[in-house]
Amino acid sequence: MPADATPPLQSPGFDLDEPGTYLYSGRASTRGFRLNRFALSLTKPANREAFLADEAAYMAGYDLSEDETALVRARDWTGLLKAGGHLQAILKLAATLGLNLYHIGAHNTGTDADSLYAMCPRGVSATPEPE
Amino acid sequence: MARIVGGLGISHTPSMGLAFDAGMKGEWEPAWKPWFDGTRPVKEWLADLAPDHIVCVYNDHLNHFTFEAYPTFAIGVADAFPQADEGWGPRPAGGPPFPPVPGDTDFAWALTEHLIRTESFDLTVCQELALDHGVYSWLPYIADAPWPAPMTPIAVNMIRHPIPTAQRLRDLGAAIRRAVENLESDARVLVIATGGMSHQISGTRFGIANEDLDRYFLANLKDNMPALVDLPQTEWMRLGGTEAAELGIWFAMRAALSDRIDEIYRYQVFPKITGCGVIAFQEPS
Repeated sequence: MPADATPPLQSPGFDLDEPGTYLYSGRASTRGFRLNRFALSLTKPANREAFLADEAAYMAGYDLSEDETALVRARDWTGLLKAGGHLQAILKLAATLGLNLYHIGAHNTGTDADSLYAMCPRGVSATPEPE
Repeated sequence: MARIVGGLGISHTPSMGLAFDAGMKGEWEPAWKPWFDGTRPVKEWLADLAPDHIVCVYNDHLNHFTFEAYPTFAIGVADAFPQADEGWGPRPAGGPPFPPVPGDTDFAWALTEHLIRTESFDLTVCQELALDHGVYSWLPYIADAPWPAPMTPIAVNMIRHPIPTAQRLRDLGAAIRRAVENLESDARVLVIATGGMSHQISGTRFGIANEDLDRYFLANLKDNMPALVDLPQTEWMRLGGTEAAELGIWFAMRAALSDRIDEIYRYQVFPKITGCGVIAFQEPS
């Protein structure tokens, strides 16, 4: 491995705690309601064009907080999920920017999209315990 | 009376659809070609089975439904179910888009009537419904457009907790069976369920890939479903990634079938970030 390559990630664990997992709850859905409404508006081609032409002006129409707007401007994918953004909604924002799931996952895992792509599938093995 | 002639469980993922489109242009990604090869026998089986209707239990991914109103269970009653735009535009990119999946409103209303009034499944009825990769990613692997049979889609919330219980999904399947058998027609119906298998696409567990869990699920679905249903949904999520909970949708397919079924075909592979599996059951004729 070249010296500047991303080191391999730890094997995924078998727990449901953050930052391994952001379990999408009702509370997250309430917290992220406006953020998700903004992100999901980008499934319409005209809205994608308007957003790309002037991000700030477009976001002003969606009643986002300053923090939420800053997370979008910073492409802070992990921050957006923590703010209640649903992965499937935030993915529409990534798609609009010409990015994909791996860019979000890379930000979550602290690597870059190409390295993460090369690491997948991240194999583990466990089956349910017999009763 | 109408009857269910078979059941199909199959995975879905956006990249499965994109890989198909590239493959049709002669550009198969090496990771995805095995899934194409592995689904050829399903396509042949489906063509031979030639069902008159398909009931498809699937999950949306914030592509038709939004958080303004996200139904726990919904049924599509429309003449056609177009592709949803997931942010990248319609598929295949650069070519004529896939035609809408056809519906049959008479069939779907009769099913809805029975499910709500007799079975107490209070489905949200959607007279417009765009289907996302939950259907359009695997569909071109198992059939050619124009799609061979009208479909009645039933959407299940799998994107925000609380999600329905495994037992409720099993009950849905049993209710679908009784609803089909109540129809005044001689229609031959295929039940498809789609979701999972192992995957998680956010957090530091992104890309978790538990092929042994997927194998365990497929090996037990036909004869040992109660044990799978009894396992807490958090166990599937813990072992196979949060989205492995979607495997619960497959219980709706299995429970719509009798115990006399034959397993026709089973295949699994793990191309990238989602366990891809398919299992086909057929009722004795």
